[in-house]
Amino acid sequence: MLLIHCPHCREDREEEEYSYSGEAHIVRPLEPEALSDQEWGDYLFFRKNPKGIHHEMWYHAVGCRRYFYATRNTLSYEIIETYKVGEQPQVSAQGAAQ
Amino acid sequence: MSQINRLNTGARTDSTSRINFTYNGKQMQGVVGDTLASALLANGVNVVGRSFKYSRPRGIVGHGAEEPNAIMQIGSGAATVPNLKATQVELYEGLESASVNGWPNVNFDLMSITGWFGRMMPPGFYYKTFMYPAKLWMTYEHFIRKAAGLGSAPVQDDPDSYDKLNQHCDVLVVGAGPAGLVAAREAARAGARVIIADEQSEFGGSLLASINSIDGQVATSWVDELVAELESFSNVQTLPRSTAFGYYDHNFLGILQRRTDHLGISADSGSRQRLHRVRAKRVILATGAFERPLVFAQNDIPGVMQASSVSTYINRYGVAPGNRMILFTTNDNAYQTAIDWHRAGRAVVAVVDSRSAPSGEIVAVAQEMGIRVIAGSGVIEAQGGKRVRRALVAPLNGDGTEITGVVEKLACDLIACSGGWSPAIHLSSHTGAKPVWDETIIGFKPGQSVQKERSAGACGGTYSLAGCIAEGASAGAEAAKLAGCGDGTVHFPMPQIKEFSEQPAQALFLVPHTKATSRAPSQFVDMQLDVSASGIELAVREGFKSVEHIKRYTAMGFGTDQGKLGNINGMAILANALGQSIEQTGTTIFRPSYSPTTFGAIAGADVGALFDPERYTAVHRWHQEQGAAFEDVGQWKRPWYFPRGGESMQDAVNRECLAVRNSVGILDASTLGKIDIQGPDAAEFITRMYTNSYLKLAPGKCRYGVMLKEDGMIFDDGVCACIGDNHYLMFTTTGGAAGVLAWLELWQQTEWPDLQVYFTSVTDHWTTATITGPNARKVLAKVCDDIELANDAFQFMDWRDGTVAGVAARVFRISFTGELTYEINVPAHYGRHVWEALIAAGEEFDITPYGTESMHVLRAEKGFIIVGQDTDGSMTPADMNMDWVVGKNKTFSFIGKRSLQRSDSVRKNRKQLVGLKTVNGTQVLPEGAQVVFDPEQKIPMSMQGHVTSSYFSSNLGHSIALAVVKGGHGLLGKTVYCPLADGRTIAAEIVSSVFYDPKGERQNVE
Amino acid sequence: MSNNIKQETPLQYFHKLSSHANSQRAELFNGEVEFALVVKEAPISTFLSLRGNGADNAFCAAVAEVLGVPVPTEPGTYHSSKEASIYWLGPDEWMLFSSMDASSLEARLRASLSGHIAIADISGGQTLINLRGDQLALEVVLKKSSVYDFGAWADASANAGRCVQSSFGKASAVVANKSDGSYDLIFRRSYADYIAQWLLHAGEEFGCRIES
Repeated sequence: MLLIHCPHCREDREEEEYSYSGEAHIVRPLEPEALSDQEWGDYLFFRKNPKGIHHEMWYHAVGCRRYFYATRNTLSYEIIETYKVGEQPQVSAQGAAQ
Repeated sequence: MSQINRLNTGARTDSTSRINFTYNGKQMQGVVGDTLASALLANGVNVVGRSFKYSRPRGIVGHGAEEPNAIMQIGSGAATVPNLKATQVELYEGLESASVNGWPNVNFDLMSITGWFGRMMPPGFYYKTFMYPAKLWMTYEHFIRKAAGLGSAPVQDDPDSYDKLNQHCDVLVVGAGPAGLVAAREAARAGARVIIADEQSEFGGSLLASINSIDGQVATSWVDELVAELESFSNVQTLPRSTAFGYYDHNFLGILQRRTDHLGISADSGSRQRLHRVRAKRVILATGAFERPLVFAQNDIPGVMQASSVSTYINRYGVAPGNRMILFTTNDNAYQTAIDWHRAGRAVVAVVDSRSAPSGEIVAVAQEMGIRVIAGSGVIEAQGGKRVRRALVAPLNGDGTEITGVVEKLACDLIACSGGWSPAIHLSSHTGAKPVWDETIIGFKPGQSVQKERSAGACGGTYSLAGCIAEGASAGAEAAKLAGCGDGTVHFPMPQIKEFSEQPAQALFLVPHTKATSRAPSQFVDMQLDVSASGIELAVREGFKSVEHIKRYTAMGFGTDQGKLGNINGMAILANALGQSIEQTGTTIFRPSYSPTTFGAIAGADVGALFDPERYTAVHRWHQEQGAAFEDVGQWKRPWYFPRGGESMQDAVNRECLAVRNSVGILDASTLGKIDIQGPDAAEFITRMYTNSYLKLAPGKCRYGVMLKEDGMIFDDGVCACIGDNHYLMFTTTGGAAGVLAWLELWQQTEWPDLQVYFTSVTDHWTTATITGPNARKVLAKVCDDIELANDAFQFMDWRDGTVAGVAARVFRISFTGELTYEINVPAHYGRHVWEALIAAGEEFDITPYGTESMHVLRAEKGFIIVGQDTDGSMTPADMNMDWVVGKNKTFSFIGKRSLQRSDSVRKNRKQLVGLKTVNGTQVLPEGAQVVFDPEQKIPMSMQGHVTSSYFSSNLGHSIALAVVKGGHGLLGKTVYCPLADGRTIAAEIVSSVFYDPKGERQNVE
Repeated sequence: MSNNIKQETPLQYFHKLSSHANSQRAELFNGEVEFALVVKEAPISTFLSLRGNGADNAFCAAVAEVLGVPVPTEPGTYHSSKEASIYWLGPDEWMLFSSMDASSLEARLRASLSGHIAIADISGGQTLINLRGDQLALEVVLKKSSVYDFGAWADASANAGRCVQSSFGKASAVVANKSDGSYDLIFRRSYADYIAQWLLHAGEEFGCRIES
């Protein structure tokens, strides 16, 4: 059971209030029709699923109904940071942002 | 039987207040403050169970959660509870207890004849014997269960209630021994919200059995004062009888509180057990340590006990479990038991100390009392049947691995053992912290913390009382500070404590015997599962090397006691057999639960009517009054059909369907999801989400749309209406409402935040009464005079504001039956009023309420799909023959569009929606039936598709079905076959999926 | 609309029911029994969903002007007057609860607001109940019902004005503390039966009744 800080409610809230929504920062291609089946398939189906630092989306479903992003260590389940849509993570697999 | 072993010295029992109870049908007496175990020992009960594999008689060994043998069935009937440890059951008047194994009873056990049979059950027995043939497993299992006995589960419903509390605190202290109590006090003083939990009936831990003095008073009084002080803090919750059974992510712990078990089964008020779901900012583990047993031959005979348990029975409960005791120890600490026994007026035959020259202060005290100390020796074997009669004592070499002299036989009826202490590292282990071996304490200590916790006191390897208290105090102050309370300094002064200084203990994990381990009488490591030292060595000879594998192969530590006593000895024996250090061998990882947790507590209040929310429409009670049968649609309860008289379901559905097509029916459609959409970019956004376009939808107009996931597969469908400028109302399927709203929010919030549009669920706001059938207009006209209802004034796919039965309403002219239909929406608190007005208005047309089953039949007659029934997440609009709903000229590449061109999406032999008409029209295909082309083909047959919807149509007089069949759109007229599980094969013709009114004329009836 | 049109509140059929001993909801309220917890449903009222930009001063000022209550922009807070309450639900989402007529209130708001806003009438889909009684009983029932840490609101009387949308049993509710130590709960109509039964069950150990 995770405890997740909602950047909008500005509180640590229980996992029961949230639903997980997959990998963050996947940008939809602007011109899907210009992509080959393989390129479109990469966008559609392939995810990083890293061991370690992962940026992911959460939905505060039983709460403020906002989506936001979390940087989570998939090994320890530690949530290193949460941040709003439009913001960039401070921590990444390459190390902390300068 | 009388209480032959009762003393009058128990600090926590009142020997003048008697309690009656039964054990295996026998009337016995205990006293207030007893556990079932202390009462049984007071009554001189030796044998409390039979062992799992060998059916050997077993007695009480410990005094708490570590007890492997005294497993009891408590109570009878519906409220019976199996597999409770007698050491943890508080005695109450009328308690019924029975041992869970032993057949026909524990004292005369037929199974013990199979000490021979036991010889046939070496480690890995299950794997070796039960693999083949699989059929025999049931036979084996029956026999094994009877032989081994694991208690019997009640067959009736649990009469007790359970609940859960979601708790949040700054500091959670697990364990209320000396370290835990002072930790809680420091944290509380610093202003932290504190919860302190202990599995015992009262706080104090080891101090409850201690004769030490603290600050000049007896330890138990010091505890009483400290507990009273804690309870005076408003920011402290004290939870006795509460076991922290699991430590989960982000400092979340499960604590099981037994609230009424000690009052008797099925106490009248409140929950029996309460599950505390605790989220703590900081956790202090003060769970203490378990005394380590000594492994020698026949160490399982009743009368072999833990030394600290013997002291606990004497000092806390006032029970001396025997007369002539031998203490077998590897350390100074256990000498206290010899002193306690001596003071209780019973004979200490000898202290057998494995160390060659014990020289601690307490050793001298014992010797001054005249107690014989046999140094440099060990008890190598216990002898006796249902009770120890003598001990074989032999001199050992310096490291305790060999016998160096003559064996002496000493008569006794109790052997108290102490092999040192093992920290209770279970909860720290749950967090993933890797235990580390510490040679100085000869035990595993908690590893580096991976969560916001620390261990204090004995569970961290600190065994002196002063050390525990000092560590607890600093842990409490520190935890409070880290949780944002106080400055981290210890406030309360350190109490004055007199303790003996101790000399080093000896590591002794397996006491040698005159015979080799493999030939010696069994030297038990895990009593509950009958794992012996020779079994572990055998497993190593058979090639097992990893401690985790050995655990599973021998079943060591798998019992309800989870190896609290035996594990360390077992690992050390394993390490020795592998010729490596304990450190190299490592320990198995403890996982939740620490001790057995009832299913009742895990379920909590979420049972019966509260199992899952049932959502009702505002008309629900009217449906109930009409005798409707209900169907679950998600969490909603929807009327399924309305049987009249003694009608069967089919009769009711036939009647309802005919009524709709011939006159008028009424359906409660309130459960459909409704999402209010507003904003300057609303039309653009909706157009990106649906396959068709909404850019030109005018106010007052509706359009049917299909929503795809990005993979091109149908995900939801429904009508979307333009309410006004930049304002739309989207209908979703009943089950899809929450998912669609989250889906819209996902795209708007994360992908297109620049699009200005807001979504609000308005599902619950509206009651939707759907009236449908050729007389629908006439019914509506009777209760609505401000909407022009003529066909051309209020057209199909229009909606209007108006007043229905005096209530402001939105009326949609859309249709899911193919008939003239009005969906009348009013705010839900008017729902029942408007519904009843429509029923009254429709009386002259015999308006017929119908349920979801008729709704399904009527739409299937029209070939309308139901998302989730005819689709399964792998169907495109083209598969459903719904290419017409896909906008070809939309400028924006709507969600899922690109995927419709993927090679797999345009494949010719995709499963496609068709109608099926059985050759024999009275036969109704089962939904889910597989479709094949060649009924004669050998199994496995080539499956070509499956039936998605199937009904008997009373309007058509024959059965109808929808199916998805590979390449089905090109197979009209082909005969296909559905082989059924009952052996029949039903032939059907592929037909159009529209069975009724293919031109769609009926909805435009004048 | 005429006054003789029958309206039903979501908890209509639970009024006067109580938990009593183990009989749960079946027992009718008996005035002689002590009930430490009392549930009272508000009469049918106006609920509006309001969306807009809370960082826009003009938006906040316009709403405050119409409602007579300032817009709460601090997460997890609400403001109220005798006639209206406005609850923070999200950074651009509020719930309005009012005794004023829904359609005229909506019309007045729309007339005062400009730009990208949304107002949806959800009066039929919500209900507000007040839960009052013994403080320990309230605390335990809230702990049973929701995963939210209401203890963090500390002394309710000193900190009135907090609200949260969180789980309630297996449903959800907006919970707000009141200056008199009681709590208001707002939840969806279709879950009303479930929540009423949940409260009667959770409050059984203290005695819980639902007032008409």
